[in-house]
Amino acid sequence: MQPQPALKSTYKAPPLPPGWTEHKAPTGHTYYYNAETKESTYKRPVTAAAPPTAPSANPASSFWQHQAVPQINLSDPNVANAFMSQYGQPQHQPGQQRGGRGPGGRGGSHARPKPQPIDKPRSKVAIPGHEPWILVYTKYGRRFAYNSAKNASYWRIPEKLMPAILELDKARIRQKAEGKALDTLQGSEGPPEKTDGPEEQEKDYDSSEYEEVEVTDDEDGGDGHATKRQRTEDPDQSENNGPVEFTEEDIAAQLAAMGADYGEDYEMGQDYDDYDHGEAAPQLSDDDARELFKDMLSDFNINPYSPWDTLIEQGRIVDDPRYTVLPTTKARKEVWEEWSRITIQELKELRQKQEKKDPRIAYFALLQDKATPKLYWAEFKRKYKREDAMKDIKVADKDREKWYREYISRLKLPQSTLKSDLKKLLESVPLSQLNNRSSASSLPPAVLTDLRYWSLDTKSRDEFVEGYIAGLGPPPDSGAEQGAGEDEATKKAKEERRKRERALQDRERAVQEEKHRQEKKLQFERARLREEERELERAMQVGKKGLQSQLTPQEGERFI
Amino acid sequence: MPPIRPSSKRKPPPDGFSDIEEDLLIFSNKMKDAQNAPSDNIPKHQAQWPIFQISHQRSRYIYELYYEKEAISKQLYDWLLKNGYADAALIAKWKKQGYEKLCCLRCIQTKETNFNSTCVCRVPRAQMKGEDREVQCVSCGCRGCASTD
Repeated sequence: MQPQPALKSTYKAPPLPPGWTEHKAPTGHTYYYNAETKESTYKRPVTAAAPPTAPSANPASSFWQHQAVPQINLSDPNVANAFMSQYGQPQHQPGQQRGGRGPGGRGGSHARPKPQPIDKPRSKVAIPGHEPWILVYTKYGRRFAYNSAKNASYWRIPEKLMPAILELDKARIRQKAEGKALDTLQGSEGPPEKTDGPEEQEKDYDSSEYEEVEVTDDEDGGDGHATKRQRTEDPDQSENNGPVEFTEEDIAAQLAAMGADYGEDYEMGQDYDDYDHGEAAPQLSDDDARELFKDMLSDFNINPYSPWDTLIEQGRIVDDPRYTVLPTTKARKEVWEEWSRITIQELKELRQKQEKKDPRIAYFALLQDKATPKLYWAEFKRKYKREDAMKDIKVADKDREKWYREYISRLKLPQSTLKSDLKKLLESVPLSQLNNRSSASSLPPAVLTDLRYWSLDTKSRDEFVEGYIAGLGPPPDSGAEQGAGEDEATKKAKEERRKRERALQDRERAVQEEKHRQEKKLQFERARLREEERELERAMQVGKKGLQSQLTPQEGERFI
Repeated sequence: MPPIRPSSKRKPPPDGFSDIEEDLLIFSNKMKDAQNAPSDNIPKHQAQWPIFQISHQRSRYIYELYYEKEAISKQLYDWLLKNGYADAALIAKWKKQGYEKLCCLRCIQTKETNFNSTCVCRVPRAQMKGEDREVQCVSCGCRGCASTD
């Protein structure tokens, strides 16, 4: 790919008149030298009778120009006269002002043409759906399509890529708009003011030197790009100096380029604009946005203890659409902080309510499973050091050893003693904890943390316990039903949540509708524009008689 | 930045440690990586920056858990400080007005500098003179830790 010579890639400079040669100065400027007259100039000399470049190709004059500059061949004296009578500007032949200063009040600093800046590719995006194609963005915010398979690049984006690139643009603009708050809008003026934004810049863009290049992407000249382009002269100035800067070929080429592009440009600008409309219309309330964000955090099972940085590094929540309901990262972090504080409090409460699982229970279960009188403590410890119960930090190693020895010694006792011990244990538990409603699988911790319970083998123990429980009385009546209140609360929370989600959906739908309407409007506007253009063109067809033919348009001879 | 005590030589942690254990493990892994990263091709003074930064992050994490979110108990907080998970002296500074965001203790140690002044990262960004305000301090790579920034 060769984007380097891009500035000149599409606009071909007209051939030099005979006798003139092109050279490069040590400063990088291009200059022209005539060996016969010993004359040298920075301005590109032009042949007097250069053929007009395809005037009928595209009958477009731009509606955003300060003055609609028509496509006319100024080398034709008739037309030139008409042109002057219409625009009231002195006409300068390129040859006349050579050596002298430009007439339009240019400062000395402009006496020389600026060296053309070198554009460079900056970033690239694969175009989804058209695999070998890549969209390359340049330093000056322009872009071109590049086919890596064929090794070919085009400033004019091929038709078949158009929809995919449109999609890309939309996605990017959406991202941008969501990232920024709506306050980028300039104060009091409402959304309609916004329409002027991109166009103004396009105007700028078109009226200066760069327009020799055909540029297909003005739509992203939203905010940042315009300033990046090196703009030193204001459009008026260059407009005044029009004849100085532009030969008629320039104008023709420019018009042709604009004619081809403007439809698309306009559409893009509009697109950007209508997106803003969509964004502005349905607004989520601040509280709703915060709640949505919190819902998202809960949905992703975010650990409320982890730091914010890890959350962002993981990047799971970033893809969620609810991530963007809050405009800034600062706001997000704030909400996250609030959410984590609340969640941690809830967790704490929940844990307090929950019965603490005694670490001893797991260890005793392990003992019952694995311990035999054949193993010493050291051997047992080494053999089962990988078990969770052995690694639990809450239990000291000393205690483990003590319990192990005790358990082994109890294993040697006769069954009847063990049973009577267990009975004593069960009797010591109050009726409120152990009664005929409790089952053998959910015994109170007072029983489970006692070695007397574990030292019987499972089968006979369960039978014994079940028999004992069956003989107990009903629980004493004291407990109240707390379940109902709990249910009420969760139901309410769910209801709230559903409401918020519905609000989000409504918002999205409204955005869609707004977009649709904008599109329709756009179609209409375009049709109107085309009509106006045609009118303009009709007006510009000036005949030999100059203005007279304007006054009596029906008289038919036209000389172009 | 004292090393974290090995688990065999410390008391068992109080309740709530299991909640933050995972994140602390991430921090300690990061720290190990930073310690083992080669420092051949970076300036000498930059070699310790990542270590300072990770230590700061971890202290900040524990500080926020205890003082802002109130997520951990006093016992656990003390235990963490005792076992070197956070820098108690640095946290003590964060409680003082004007030092809320302090990056490291070396940056306020005026006796170590030529003109008996604090580090450049303590200068509020609004008061910085000259073109490039994007400085990184020599001691820990801080880009500015004045509380007004």
